[in-house]
Amino acid sequence: MTMRRAVFGLIGAAAFAAPAFAQDLAYETIEKGRALVIAGDCVACHTPPGAKPFSGGRAVETPFGDILAPNLTPDRATGIGAWSDEEFVRALQQGVGRDGEHLFPALPYTAYTKVTRGDLVAMRAYLNTVEPVHNPVEPNQLPFPFNMRFLQFFWKALFFTPGEYQPNPQQPADWNRGAYLVEGLGHCASCHSAKNILGGDKAAMEGGTLQNWFAPNLTADRRVGLGAWSEDELIEYLKTGHTARSAASGPMAEVVEFQTSKMPDADLKAMAVYLKDIAAAPAVKATPLAADRADMQAGAALYADNCSACHVGKGEGVARLFPALAGSAVVQSDDAATLLRMVLQGSRSAATDAAPTAPAMPAFDWKLTDAQIAAVVTYARNSWGNAASAVGAGDVKTMRNALKN
Amino acid sequence: MGSSRAPRGIRRRDLLTSTAAAFFVFGAEAALGRTVKGGLPWAPDSVVPPTPVSAVGWYFFTALEGAAVEAICDRLIPPDDGNPGGKQAGCAVFIDRQLIGSYGAAERFYMRPPFATGTPQQGTQTQFSPAEQYRRGLAALDRYCRDGLGGKGFAELPAAEQDKLLAAMEKGEAQFTGVNPREFFELLLQNAMEGFFADPLYGGNRDMAGWKLIGFPGARYDYRDYIGQHNKPFPLPPVALQGRPEWIGR
Ligand code: HEC
Ligand code: HEC
Ligand code: HEC
Repeated sequence: MTMRRAVFGLIGAAAFAAPAFAQDLAYETIEKGRALVIAGDCVACHTPPGAKPFSGGRAVETPFGDILAPNLTPDRATGIGAWSDEEFVRALQQGVGRDGEHLFPALPYTAYTKVTRGDLVAMRAYLNTVEPVHNPVEPNQLPFPFNMRFLQFFWKALFFTPGEYQPNPQQPADWNRGAYLVEGLGHCASCHSAKNILGGDKAAMEGGTLQNWFAPNLTADRRVGLGAWSEDELIEYLKTGHTARSAASGPMAEVVEFQTSKMPDADLKAMAVYLKDIAAAPAVKATPLAADRADMQAGAALYADNCSACHVGKGEGVARLFPALAGSAVVQSDDAATLLRMVLQGSRSAATDAAPTAPAMPAFDWKLTDAQIAAVVTYARNSWGNAASAVGAGDVKTMRNALKN
Repeated sequence: MGSSRAPRGIRRRDLLTSTAAAFFVFGAEAALGRTVKGGLPWAPDSVVPPTPVSAVGWYFFTALEGAAVEAICDRLIPPDDGNPGGKQAGCAVFIDRQLIGSYGAAERFYMRPPFATGTPQQGTQTQFSPAEQYRRGLAALDRYCRDGLGGKGFAELPAAEQDKLLAAMEKGEAQFTGVNPREFFELLLQNAMEGFFADPLYGGNRDMAGWKLIGFPGARYDYRDYIGQHNKPFPLPPVALQGRPEWIGR
């Protein structure tokens, strides 16, 4: 009798203890998943401005047309509440939808494939806890023939290497953590790598174009890459959006605001360690254009009258307020898209808790002609130690028209 | 990704803590410190620049009125040593373009009765808008010239006689019918100076002539590179809102 009661008691205790234990585990998993979802910047594409988090419907622009990011809330009818963990993992690691259809790489599964299964399951656990929103989304807004999902089969065969990140045993733990975050969840290459005509990555991290922006080279190239940046500078940039030399704008401001500024310092450090170790392609020898060219002379006058008030006489800028143009990769990159749109349209930099002011650059499209903008950016690209090709009035005109659409 | 971002910024928690402390001291029950976010608004393509005026023809003046105002401006700011005077600098064009706009219609002034005379310090108390003052003043001036000065309009008088008449107007001695000559003179002088120094975009100060004459550097707002260089002339030429010739022709 006593014996039986004792056993009963034990079972009773176990019955009570088990859920409490499971809940702790769930809490840890969910918290881990929350941090990973931030590191993956899932919210950026899956939340239109002003909408409930992850409720879907934001258009992801691709050169082939718009694709809407679907609803990721646990709503069973229109979100992913009814998905199994397996289906979720398969979507992100293989780019395969719930019904086995091929997903478009607008969901950067080419990067997310590197994320471990354990991490993905934690992310799923977190997504299960967000507020369910009923919001049906039809992602596929592409014109024929790009809307044919089965064609993605051939794309994958050409450009997709599935597989979780394999640590490099030669490298320390933080390097490997950094590589995992940069190449995997952070999907930095999806903007910072050039795309071939079919939208596949080429020339990893040597810079890429998107939506009339140029995301610069993140290799160690000193002129157009991160060669001159210190590890601490990179950490500051990712955490605050501002450094003594630069400011995050446009798509990069979103990356900083939603993603990197909310990541733990140790992860930022790991990313900086890895980024600083990406070797550059052999540097292209660049010599500055002669200062007595007509466009350089006009550019000098234009710069003194329009830009020097903020970026200062020799392009040195003001730390954390006005980016330096001397030594800037944005200014010297072969592809002048970011430089041109900055001058034409202006831009507001990232606002973070650490640097909340978010200084903005004024627009000059109303004030300067195509030839004048070409002259002033050509001057900035070839002064104070900078060197890059000349920009023509035609390039400015093309960008001016592109920004109008 | 679209490029519209929710603006964020400025943390005001530090500011609010002191207020919160004050609440606690005075015993208010619900003083909650909170972080208020919301950056300054910014949107692309939100600049509304002023439209440059056209340099040809009159929009308000008749040809006769225009000639008279040009002649007046050229006596108020006479050309010398190769520097353009008020006429060549476009002062009359400036005034003409102002008179067809909100200034001419006195949109910024209170224009209801009673119209008392007022003290000199109170400025003009006229019931007439600047456009009406020009119309009436120029008519009175023309009548004065034609009736009293040999049948010629103001623009046709020799310079010395123009100066004499302007001086008489300034002293209030010229006898105009229905118009206070001193008030009209003051209006002309004020507007001629504005035309000589306003941005060329508005029709006067042609080729930044007025700015060059007095060494004004134009539409610049930062002198950090030069502020420490005492007793040296500022090296840059003036710049207008629409630039300067070195910018490559528009
Ligand atoms: C660059 C934009 C972008 C980012 C970042 C992004 N997604 Fe997506 N995601 C998309 C788009 C676009 C689709 C639709 C693809 C399709 O239908 O072919 C999609 C589809 C999905 C799907 C399939 C849903 C369905 O209903 O078919 C899942 C699951 C998903 N994303 C999860 C995530 C997670 C988790 C993250 C963060 C790690 C993330 N996404 C980050 C753009 C993005
Ligand atoms: C959505 C596209 C996008 C993604 C994703 C992205 N970037 Fe960027 N990045 C840009 C663009 C565009 C610029 C140029 C604009 C600017 O200077 O702010 C930029 C600029 C930068 C710069 C400054 C370069 C310079 O020379 O001024 C750094 C550093 C950077 N990104 C790092 C990263 C890292 C690390 C990641 C991954 C966590 C990442 N980016 C992900 C688009 C992106
Ligand atoms: C009123 C101050 C101001 C003026 C005038 C100004 N800028 Fe800027 N500029 C800024 C600010 C602030 C930023 C950062 C904005 C951002 O990152 O979104 C910036 C960013 C830039 C960048 C991007 C740098 C980077 O590292 O991302 C370039 C290039 C640039 N400006 C060029 C110019 C040129 C050329 C002119 C003159 C035609 C000019 N600016 C005039 C304030 C100014």
